[in-house]
Amino acid sequence: MSLNYPFPCQRYQPAPTSRREMLKRCASGFGAVALAGLQTDPAFAATASPPGPKVTVPQGSAAHGPHHAVRAKNVIFLYMDGGPSQIDTFDPKPMLDKFDGKDPGKLFDVEPTQFNNNGNVLASPWKFNQYGESGIPVSDLFPHVATCVDELAIIRSMVSEFPEHTFANYFLHTGSGLQGRPSMGAWVNYGLGSECQNLPGFVVINGGLIPPGGVDCFGSGFLPASYQGSIFKPSGSGVANIEPTEPTQQRQRDKLDLISQLDGFAVDRFGQHDSLESAIRNYELAYAMQMAVPDVMSLNDEPAHVLKAYGMESEYQPTQTYAAQCLIARRMIERGVRFIELTCPKVGGDRWDQHGNLKSGHENNALAVDQPIAALLKDLRQRGLLDETLVVWAGEFGRTPFAQGKDGRDHNQFGFTVWMAGGGVKPGTIYGATDEWGYKAIENRVEIHDLHATMLHLMGVDHTRSTFRFGGRDMRLTDVKGHVINDVIA
Amino acid sequence: MMVMRDVQTDRSEREPMNRFVIFLCLALASVLLTMSADATMASDTVGAEPTAEQLEFFEKEIRPVLVEACYSCHSGESEKLQAGLFVDSREALLHGGDSGEAIIPGDVDGSLFIEAVRYESYEMPPAGMLPPEQIAALERWVEMGAPWPAEEAGGDFTRPTFDIESRRNEHWVWQPIESPKIPDVADTQWPHDELDRFILARLEAQNLKPTGDAGRAELMRRLYFDLIGLPPTPEQTANFLSDTSPNALENLVDQLLDSPQFGERWGRHWLDLVRYAESRGHEFDDDTRNAFQYRDYIIRALNEDVPYDQLVREHLAGDLLANPRLNPETGYNESILGTGFWFLGEWVHSPVDIRKDEADRFDNMIDVMSKTFLGVTVACARCHDHKFDAISTADYYSLSGFLQSSDFREVRFESLEHNRRVAQQINALDESYRHELEGVLQNNGLTRPTIAPLSVPSLVDYGSLAGDQYMQDGFIFGNRPTAIGDAYWTLGEEGKSLAFSTENAAINDPIWNGLESITEQGIGHRNRLYQIPRSGRTLRTPTFLLENGDVSIRVRGEGHVVACVDSHRLIAGPLHGETIKPIKGNSDWVTMRLDRYIGHRIHLEFTPAEDKQLAVSLVLQGTDRDTTKSIDEHTANAAAAIADYENAANELINREAADLVESWKRERSALQGQIMRRSHLAMAMMDGTSEDDHVLIRGNSSKPGDLEPRHFLTALSGNEPMKIREGSGRLELAEHINAPDNPLTSRVAVNRIWHYLMGRGIVPTVDDFGVLGQLPTHPELLDYLAKDFDANGRSIKKTIRKIVLSRTYQLSSQPDAEAIQTDPKNMFWHHRPPKRLEGEAIRDALLTLSGRLDPTMFGEPIPIHLTPFMDGRGRPRKSGPLDGEGRRSIYTAVRRNFLSPFMLTFDTPAPFSTMGRRNVSNVPAQALILMNDPFVVEQTKTWATRTIEQYADAESRLKRMYEMAFARTPTDQETTITLAFINSESKARDVSPDDVDLWADVAHALVNTKEFIFLP
Repeated sequence: MSLNYPFPCQRYQPAPTSRREMLKRCASGFGAVALAGLQTDPAFAATASPPGPKVTVPQGSAAHGPHHAVRAKNVIFLYMDGGPSQIDTFDPKPMLDKFDGKDPGKLFDVEPTQFNNNGNVLASPWKFNQYGESGIPVSDLFPHVATCVDELAIIRSMVSEFPEHTFANYFLHTGSGLQGRPSMGAWVNYGLGSECQNLPGFVVINGGLIPPGGVDCFGSGFLPASYQGSIFKPSGSGVANIEPTEPTQQRQRDKLDLISQLDGFAVDRFGQHDSLESAIRNYELAYAMQMAVPDVMSLNDEPAHVLKAYGMESEYQPTQTYAAQCLIARRMIERGVRFIELTCPKVGGDRWDQHGNLKSGHENNALAVDQPIAALLKDLRQRGLLDETLVVWAGEFGRTPFAQGKDGRDHNQFGFTVWMAGGGVKPGTIYGATDEWGYKAIENRVEIHDLHATMLHLMGVDHTRSTFRFGGRDMRLTDVKGHVINDVIA
Repeated sequence: MMVMRDVQTDRSEREPMNRFVIFLCLALASVLLTMSADATMASDTVGAEPTAEQLEFFEKEIRPVLVEACYSCHSGESEKLQAGLFVDSREALLHGGDSGEAIIPGDVDGSLFIEAVRYESYEMPPAGMLPPEQIAALERWVEMGAPWPAEEAGGDFTRPTFDIESRRNEHWVWQPIESPKIPDVADTQWPHDELDRFILARLEAQNLKPTGDAGRAELMRRLYFDLIGLPPTPEQTANFLSDTSPNALENLVDQLLDSPQFGERWGRHWLDLVRYAESRGHEFDDDTRNAFQYRDYIIRALNEDVPYDQLVREHLAGDLLANPRLNPETGYNESILGTGFWFLGEWVHSPVDIRKDEADRFDNMIDVMSKTFLGVTVACARCHDHKFDAISTADYYSLSGFLQSSDFREVRFESLEHNRRVAQQINALDESYRHELEGVLQNNGLTRPTIAPLSVPSLVDYGSLAGDQYMQDGFIFGNRPTAIGDAYWTLGEEGKSLAFSTENAAINDPIWNGLESITEQGIGHRNRLYQIPRSGRTLRTPTFLLENGDVSIRVRGEGHVVACVDSHRLIAGPLHGETIKPIKGNSDWVTMRLDRYIGHRIHLEFTPAEDKQLAVSLVLQGTDRDTTKSIDEHTANAAAAIADYENAANELINREAADLVESWKRERSALQGQIMRRSHLAMAMMDGTSEDDHVLIRGNSSKPGDLEPRHFLTALSGNEPMKIREGSGRLELAEHINAPDNPLTSRVAVNRIWHYLMGRGIVPTVDDFGVLGQLPTHPELLDYLAKDFDANGRSIKKTIRKIVLSRTYQLSSQPDAEAIQTDPKNMFWHHRPPKRLEGEAIRDALLTLSGRLDPTMFGEPIPIHLTPFMDGRGRPRKSGPLDGEGRRSIYTAVRRNFLSPFMLTFDTPAPFSTMGRRNVSNVPAQALILMNDPFVVEQTKTWATRTIEQYADAESRLKRMYEMAFARTPTDQETTITLAFINSESKARDVSPDDVDLWADVAHALVNTKEFIFLP
């Protein structure tokens, strides 16, 4: 990583403490930061000249954080598409071995499932071993992540409200089962602004799978479009419309100069208006983004041992893909991108959604992500970035302890596992528990709203105060719910 | 004693009781309980005064659990009380919370509190179940009568009641629309119109001056974009500028309002209100089949300036109008297309909780309807009374009842009215001939055998169904069931023949065979219902409560039966496949296994197979063999009797009435020829069984409370059930919305028009006139416009015309220096701030410049162009063309999971709820699109190529380009700068100054200037 990185507002200086300071520090004075911040700043909204709904920030709202000490400056959200099985990964249940093949209806109450094709109790095909100083058990699906187990806070008592992928995905991403609400990444940027003017504040690095529910999982909903997630591919140009049309940089520069000269007359024609000036400045920002994106995407300057550690040399193509995603995520963190979500690569079979063929399906999905995730955690730790980066690993729900058909598992929203690491999380922790079958959370149940509240809390945002007025309500990521889970905070 | 008994009776009779009365009884009961520690209180259920042991048990085993596990949410100490329930006193537990009393002393299993800690209904405490020994202790405690030591009442557990009246009285929007006095102004020369005097008077009061007028060319360009969403051509500009007549501006406005493009521009505004999309979103983004018919309807309606109250009527109840609006050219039913708006929302396949899915769908429908037409947020009252506005939860569920009473269908809107007339003639003809024929038979001594009626308990019996419960989509089942012994027509292998019915049954008439319904080709149509030819051919039973999972249907013939559960209609595995069942004709009985839906309200829909006849007689709950056997025997006896009758009748007919039957047949053939067989389909509503909805406690669909009669908002029309003449009552609901004394409708409508033209509504929060919305900047002007709207027949075009001809509209965007100091937010409207064009207008303008714009109107959407970044389930297999076939943006497919990135970046809303006011964001991504998007590059290059071809020299090319893009000529400076660019670039690139790429760069630069996307 070269130290004379040409763009300002990155992580090599102490994070600015206020928007004002941040503005001062940006070389061009007026960055995407400023724009995003200003647009949502009630003070600005009050003086903005465009008559339209620039942004409907309620008066008197203290929506803009941080509200308290910041533990995590940014987030890497490792979304495990399809719902990995808790009882085959981080929540061992010996009772399943004991009652393997028995009728679950005779052992406990079985709730309606998505496929309504329930079979017998199904023991986990994987062995669990204890790892690290904490002695936390992890199944053989995650041999690499297991070596990082002392960094993790494992929540075994997660519950969701929905057994359908799409509802559950919207819920996990936006705090509502309905389509069209702002995603976590949008909320975080709305609350805190971005620290990097040359890259979007909310990036989705798409390994190949888009969650059921589509790109609306990453939308800005009723928040302004500036907060919507930008979808990157881990190869090629990275993001849409970033490659200049012009064959050379000089040509584009010349054209931009012409535009800028002609725009110089706009004030004569329109009068002085902030909206126009912002639109004019956008061109300089866009120009800078055109260079920042290839820079962050290029892995050429990564040493061979780093590439190897992430799994770029893996024989399994999906592992390579996810390795690139994880590496790009780390590079984005270094440049101050606020919220990065990684979606899963396509493996041969289905996503983590094993309605059948649990064994091979989960093995492939785990193989793709295990090594890159472990490398990412270690790399962030080594660079001193893990303490300020919150890493969250979660699917939209878990899976049933009884089979679907013979060798699958159906969706289970009543109890599943997610984990967090870094960014103020209490390491080497297990929180909550499911029942003896691993079916339903019974101890310290954590709802999705609680997970969101905790994530925001670690970022210095009070989830009850980060609001946006829409449709007659002050909307929140956590709706009217959510409790911070203090026991997983260091 | 008496009191206690009352309380207990209340519980069992809760359903029909008024909640308020229950509340009173309970309150009274608890007051008495608190006061009386004497024998009055002792009863066998409550237990005597608690003994010392009982109290000790309470203090040791119970109170600590309550404090530890419940107090944080259910006590005077809770930061926020949940569900209105306190558990810190006995009285409070007896009184209960939102779901009613929490404990019934002595009745362990009947106590909600115990249910909750057992995780049987509610799951409390939510973080995890209590240990079994604590649950057992709580059970014991309730069993012994819930002993609690005498202490001060544990706090005020009653909550303030919701006072709609004071809420209404305190907020401006519920007050009647006044006819305001036209204000006096000092500068009487300035106003063009009364409207201007409202603006000027406020400015003068602030010692502010309006800025100057916009230039003529500038104003013209503004009008083009505001009214039709396209830039003027240089010729149009020249024509207008050379027209010096005093009416030039009015003529231009009239011409634009009359232009077909007006409906496309304002139709797009309307689509934002109704969350218009052509797919259902969610996992597979299935088609919202034929949604475009609604889009075309609204474009036509706006072009025809259909009065706003008629639009309201058509949206709410276009299917119920006695005199629907017919398309003047084709005679198609236009009105019914309006009801399609209800169904433009998201649909889910295979919801596990099907009732909750319905509640969510209804919520969205109520939300969109109430925001769009009333500008209030009724959906905020789904879980609790509105936090700020005069809208109760009861109001919400009263509206939900209208949806509960209505159904979805894909209507044959083109043939509907025509075939309705034909059907009336067929019915009349058949009745008359049947009567005459029976007369002939009787005169010859043959009377219809008397068949004793069947007496089995049934869900539906087509022998005894009330007339208004005979429901169908279409006409093929006639206007009543066929009774035993009725003559009816069949189509056998030998052709048409007369038969006599052996059962009371709904039978489709083969005269209607061969209906052809044309539907959109679509992209993702996994819905299994699409495989059945249902439109215009479907019989609908009344709605019933399913109590037994087996439903037996006595039906003959071939076709399908569909059980519609909780209005769920996207049947695409893995669940709910059992709601569709083929009828194969090999048995007189079909059984549906619907165990999953016990306790749900359902109805059945019967559709005959193509060219087949279906006779539906009975629907029974359960498959009791004895019952079906007795019915079979009964029917066999009846059939035997009818067979004898039929033989005798046929003999008589041959002898006495052959001519009669022949002429019956002939006349039917003539009518058959009149049937319109082909029709396109569109989404529409139809009435189902008229019924009210339950209030759902805290919005929870598994916690139904009392039934709430259908009515309009209490704040406007009181709490009484609405007088519903028949059916769902949507027609009456529309009347309430349109009522002249409803203070919302006209205000909301004119405010929207003002917003679209001026850029900011008089009430800036156009979808929310409630307490959380913003106050009107010019309340008198709003009322003036609303009154004017009412007086002009609620004409949208007349209101637009009035506003754009005002001097206020025509102000320059150059603010007056002094005014901007005093009023930087332009609250008093002293200038017109520049408006950033919407994504659609930007794209349409690009197509106009390039000459690629194809003005074709209407029709199936142009598939969306897919980039590699648009991925996910339901991705259309084929990408649409980059330029959308040159069609206006309103015709590009709106697929929920694959929305245009161009449009999203320029703030076209994701279609999930009413969005009358788009965000106006201003971000680098917009610059990146205009700089690098292949569509923009392609269009500007085409524009350059055409211009080079048409104009020889650089200056005239440049002049032409400026005229096309900005409706003006370039200034000398602009010309100099641009020519210098051409000059230096042609040298640097070593190309001719006529080089296409060079001019493409000029064209590209011009659309990247702010003047292209901002309207001064």
